[in-house]
Amino acid sequence: MDKNIHHHIPGSQFSTHNGQLVISSGIQTLDSLLGNGIPIGTVVLIEEDFHGCYSKVLLKYFLAEGIVSTHSTFIASQDVNPYHIIKELPAVIESDPEVGDSAVSKTSNNDKLQIAFRYQNLPSYDSDYGPKENKDFGHIYDLSKTIDVSDIENSDICCWTGLRIENGTKTYSNPAYNELLKSIKNKIKEGKFFLKDNPEKRSMLRIGIHSLGSPMWLPHRKSLQSIDGTRDLDKFIFCLRALVRSAYAVAMVTVPTHLYHEMSLERCIHSSDIALRLQAFSGTELENNQSLNEYHGFFYLTKLAAVNSLVSKHPGPVEYVFKLRRKRFSIEILHLPPDIQDDNKETGKKHGNKAVHSMGCSGANSHPLDF
Amino acid sequence: MFSLADPRYSNPILSELQIKPEDQIISIRENANADSNFIITHLIKQFLYEKHKLCLVTFHSNVAHYQSVGKKLGYDLLSAKKNNEVIIIDPINAMVEDVGKESGYLREDKDSLLKSLYLDIKKHLNTLLGNGDHQANLIIDDLSHLVDLGVDVCQMINFTTYCLNLTNNDKISVVLNNHVGNKIDEIVSNNLQYIANVHIEVSALKTGASLDVTGSFTVEKDSRKRVFHYKAYDRGIKTFHPGESIYHLYK
Repeated sequence: MDKNIHHHIPGSQFSTHNGQLVISSGIQTLDSLLGNGIPIGTVVLIEEDFHGCYSKVLLKYFLAEGIVSTHSTFIASQDVNPYHIIKELPAVIESDPEVGDSAVSKTSNNDKLQIAFRYQNLPSYDSDYGPKENKDFGHIYDLSKTIDVSDIENSDICCWTGLRIENGTKTYSNPAYNELLKSIKNKIKEGKFFLKDNPEKRSMLRIGIHSLGSPMWLPHRKSLQSIDGTRDLDKFIFCLRALVRSAYAVAMVTVPTHLYHEMSLERCIHSSDIALRLQAFSGTELENNQSLNEYHGFFYLTKLAAVNSLVSKHPGPVEYVFKLRRKRFSIEILHLPPDIQDDNKETGKKHGNKAVHSMGCSGANSHPLDF
Repeated sequence: MFSLADPRYSNPILSELQIKPEDQIISIRENANADSNFIITHLIKQFLYEKHKLCLVTFHSNVAHYQSVGKKLGYDLLSAKKNNEVIIIDPINAMVEDVGKESGYLREDKDSLLKSLYLDIKKHLNTLLGNGDHQANLIIDDLSHLVDLGVDVCQMINFTTYCLNLTNNDKISVVLNNHVGNKIDEIVSNNLQYIANVHIEVSALKTGASLDVTGSFTVEKDSRKRVFHYKAYDRGIKTFHPGESIYHLYK
C-alpha cells in the first residue's frame, strides 16, 4: 500500500510495530495492549460480561472516538435502540481529570515512596499516563458527560434497528442477519469505503454491533433450530470479515456468549481478528475477594491475530483487569496488593516454633496453610 | 549435493517439515487459538523456489496478507502471479459481491457451490500444468470456512475427496488447511489425517500464552511423530524441541 495516500485519514496512524494502518479504540490502555490500535479491515469480537454493561462501555468508547475523529459510524442493535447508544456516548475532554487529581495528591504527599535509584528513571509501564505519540490519535473521554448534540448532528451516523423481517432469505434462519449485512454493504458502497474506491477525501467507517446473537436474534418460530443449533452467527461473522477486509472499515461486535456453548463460539473467534472477553466480578464469588476489590472484572485477550505479518503482538502470560470509575474505564495489569492485614499479632506466633508443628492437614491451631 | 540457497535446508520450518515431491497430500490441522498460517506461507516459499506452479484458494486471509508475509520471507507472490506461476482463487474478496444476494459463494444450493469451486480449481490446475513438465500444488486456506458458509459434513467429505482425487495425477499435490472449531471440522480433520502423507498439527501451548514460545506443532510422517515448539518473529520462525527454548532464545 502506498503510505502517502493514507496520510490524510484523520484519526489513524501507522503502527510502529508493523507499518499497519491502525485506528484507536478510544481507550488508550486497550490501544497499547493491541499493539498501537485496531488494524483497519478487522473484526473485533467482544464476549460480553454477564450483564453486558461493561462491553457496552467499550463499544461506546469505540464509537465516540469515531465521531471525534470524523469517521462515519454504523451502529446496529436489536436489544436497545441504537439512537440511545449514540446519545449516551461519552464526551471528549482535554486532559484526564482523575489522573490530574491523583498526580496532585501524589506530589503533595511528603512521605514520597523511596525506590532504588536504578529504577527511578525507568519509564512507567502504565501506558495510560505515558507520553502520547500522536495528538490526533486517541482522545480522552469523560463517562459522566455525554456528547454534544451538535456533534451527533454533524456526523455521518447510520442506525440499524432491525425491524422484524418475516420473509426473505433461506440462507439464514433469521433474515435479520442478512438484512444487517446488506445494510452494512450498502453503507460501505455509498460512503465509498471500499479499497478499490477513489473518493476525494478518504475516511473510515466504524461498525458497532451491540449484542449480536442475543435472544432477539433467535430464528423464527417456523424454523426448528435452537440458539445453539443455528449457524447463523458463524456465517454472519465470516461474511462481515469478508466485507471489512475489502474496505476502510473496522467492526466491533459484542456477543452475549454466556448464552452459547463454548464450542459453538470457537468458529466465530476463528473468523474474527481480535477477540476479547470481559468477566465481571459482580454476582460471582470473586465479588468479595479482598485482593480484587479495586477492580470490576477480568479482561482476557483471547485472540490477537497476526494481520499482514507472521507474528502476533499478544502480550503473553499477563493477566489484565478492568475497572469502571465514574469518569473513565481502564484496563490494567493485575497486581495483587501486598498482604498487609491486621494479623500483626499473629505474625509473631507464625515465626515461632509453633508454626512448624502446625504445618499440616490437621491441627488444633488454625494456621493459614491448613485446609 | 544440495544448494545452501535451498530453503529446505536453510529455513528452520521447511527443514523440519522436509516435504518431498512424493508427499502429495499434506494436511494441516489448526487447533483453537493457534495460527497455522506460517506453515502455508513457508510452503509457498518452498514451492516457488522449486519452480512449482501454485493454485491458492484464500478463504481466511486476503491476498495482501500473503503478499506482505511473502515479502518478509523472500518471495513475491504477486509477481509470480503475473508470470502465470500462481493462480489465486480469492473467495474472501469475491464474497463481498455476493453478500445480501444469495448468489455465488452465498448461494443456497451448497452442492452447486462446491461443484463450481472444484471445477474452478481443476480448470486452473490444468492451465498451470499445461504441456510443461512441472509440478502443480493446490493450497486451500482454510477448508473450515466452507462450514461457516453452511456446507454440511457429507458435502465437506465429498469435496475433500474430490480434491484429494486430483492427486491421481502424479504432478499434482494438495495442501489442505483446516481449523478445528466444531464437530464437522473435527471429522474432516480426522479423515484428512488418516489419508495424508504428511499431517501437521499446530496448537497453542496448553499452559496458556507465553512470550518465549508462540506455540507447538507436530509433524506426522511415515508413522513417525515429531513435536516442535516455535517462536514467531517478524521475519521468520524459530523452531526448537520442547524444553530447549532457553538455548535458542538466549544464544
